[in-house]
Amino acid sequence: MATDVERWKDEVYGNDIREHLFRFAEEGWDAIPEDEHDEWFERFKWWGLYHQRKGQESYFMMRIGTPNGVLEPGQLRTVAEVADEYARGPVDNPEFGAAYCDWTTRQSIQLHWIKLEDIPDIFEKLEADGLSTQQACGDSWRNIVGCPVAGKDTHEHIDAWPVAEELHETFKGNDEHSNLPRKWKVSVTGCDQGCGQGDINDLAFEPAEKHGELGFNVRIGGGLARKEPRFARDVDVWVPEEKVVDIADAATRLFHDHGDRDNRFNARIKFLVDEWGAEKVRRVLDEEYADWDLETAGEDLRDQYTYNAGGDEHGDHVGVHEQPDGNYYVGLNVLVGRQGVDDVIELADLADEYGSGEARLTQRQNIIVTDVPESDLDDFLAEDLLEDYSPDPHPFMRGSIACTGTEFCSLSIVETKNRQVRYARWLKENVDVPDGVTDFHIHLSGCTASCAQPQIADVSLRGMKTRKDGEPVEALDVGLGGGLGEHPQFADWVEMRVAADEVPGYIQNLLAAFDEQREGEETFREFVAARDEDALGDLADPEETDYEDPYMHNTKMTWYPYADEDDLDASPAPTDGDGETISADD
Amino acid sequence: MADRVLKVNAFTTFTLLDGEVEGHGWQTDAPAVLNVTTGDGDVILELELDNTETDEVQSHADRASLSPDEARELAAELESYADRAEE
Repeated sequence: MATDVERWKDEVYGNDIREHLFRFAEEGWDAIPEDEHDEWFERFKWWGLYHQRKGQESYFMMRIGTPNGVLEPGQLRTVAEVADEYARGPVDNPEFGAAYCDWTTRQSIQLHWIKLEDIPDIFEKLEADGLSTQQACGDSWRNIVGCPVAGKDTHEHIDAWPVAEELHETFKGNDEHSNLPRKWKVSVTGCDQGCGQGDINDLAFEPAEKHGELGFNVRIGGGLARKEPRFARDVDVWVPEEKVVDIADAATRLFHDHGDRDNRFNARIKFLVDEWGAEKVRRVLDEEYADWDLETAGEDLRDQYTYNAGGDEHGDHVGVHEQPDGNYYVGLNVLVGRQGVDDVIELADLADEYGSGEARLTQRQNIIVTDVPESDLDDFLAEDLLEDYSPDPHPFMRGSIACTGTEFCSLSIVETKNRQVRYARWLKENVDVPDGVTDFHIHLSGCTASCAQPQIADVSLRGMKTRKDGEPVEALDVGLGGGLGEHPQFADWVEMRVAADEVPGYIQNLLAAFDEQREGEETFREFVAARDEDALGDLADPEETDYEDPYMHNTKMTWYPYADEDDLDASPAPTDGDGETISADD
Repeated sequence: MADRVLKVNAFTTFTLLDGEVEGHGWQTDAPAVLNVTTGDGDVILELELDNTETDEVQSHADRASLSPDEARELAAELESYADRAEE
């Protein structure tokens, strides 16, 4: 039986949603019939808009898809100006202020508190500068990810940026591919470090050589959500660069035709690959969808992958790195991926002054300024802003990733970003970093949807609830030892329902145990892999410390976790285009 | 340790209940997730106890399908027993 979402999509979906969205924007929040909220909010996702959670009615999160994380010169400033003018809510965030930009784990941008009435003006401003929210969410081609320094990387074998651009131009707004059974996440990388994170995408292109020619091997069916995380499967296909769009088209049509539209929880292509196996996927692709004979896989570079590989790794593009043209890119650490808007504007100024004006977003929620001449490097690195967004951050600041959490998200059950900021600061002040550890990944996701990619972190944290001193409090499940590299590994879950204020103490005890018990230069990931379930469970205990957590209460039940009066009843939402509360009598 | 079987998010009916798993000759308390959802025209009731608390059973969740009429009957029973529990 078709799901509600499939029925709604049959009625209106894809590009056609825009005229309805603009009509609602013109007429105001109340123009969306209350009994049609679910269907319109589902459709708006296709245009990059998520309705915010209960208590924040009439406000939207807006996601801007920047393919491969590339912000062309001028675009960073445009994003900041949009955030400054339109992404302001009724209450400031205590860590980040009144307006801010989020850099996401899929190299996109998220702004919050967007009012329906402002959407046409925002689209006009974004689109005038080549930016778009189209298909940033919804059941279609999502933002294409890849090595964020494609075209500017000394580790590169193929410049994947033109490939990503061509895929973006072919499949964004393409009516034939606008209504897929579920989201469709694609990764393209041309470097030998694996930083496209292809393993966790629905469709992945990874550099490989065949007949002396560099092209791409194809993997299909990766994804992290819920209890079924999957690494993309090797379907034994190699394509030359000029065939990437064709095989992507074939794979998308296969998903379109065979993905499960009767059950959204079984709809991602990873489940079809589970059911069919990689061989059948290849055979069907070859016989029914590709109009040329598919080549078998070429020789890949996976044995060189260092990205998030757990050891001597190239983990996040943070730092100063030489480009092939002799200029430098400087990767700046953005704790939990959020920058206040004044800082973003200042960074846009610095990118203009010292680089080409281009900026790039990484899958570790960081930002890169490219094209800095060697002669300007020292002056750039001496800028005050880089004290807050360091190219040489402390390992705990460097490794911290967090999803949106209960601040705005309808799914999350715990507060995340501000908590992770506090965790990182406390760990930096109180926990000794084991020898040789430069980058310790701690990913905090507010629910099982896994937007912070917790399963591929050294320490995976995922939202839960527990009882403490008789009261329900926010808690986290804890996993250990995940990562990518040649042999990717999902985290082993070792603790359930650790009270959120005891997690820093747990990590402190965990790293003390690691330091004490590790053999020689053993990495944390090797250390975890060498231990069975019982040993991992016995490694460390949660512990209260002087860490203070102001978000232990049920933040899901507040209208905004940081408001002085945070009860749902105190919410000003829904509001009109001027931010004034819409009275129930209106 | 195996991951949770049930997804857990803000739409989950109860993320923290006191649960108990019992077999022949053994019994263990464990925190539980209890959720109500729909599927194929039925109401689905699903329950999962934290698997950290017992080695007696493997990590798992239990589900029961109720027709809409059965779900309403259950709701009425729950209302009735809620009243009795408060007496």
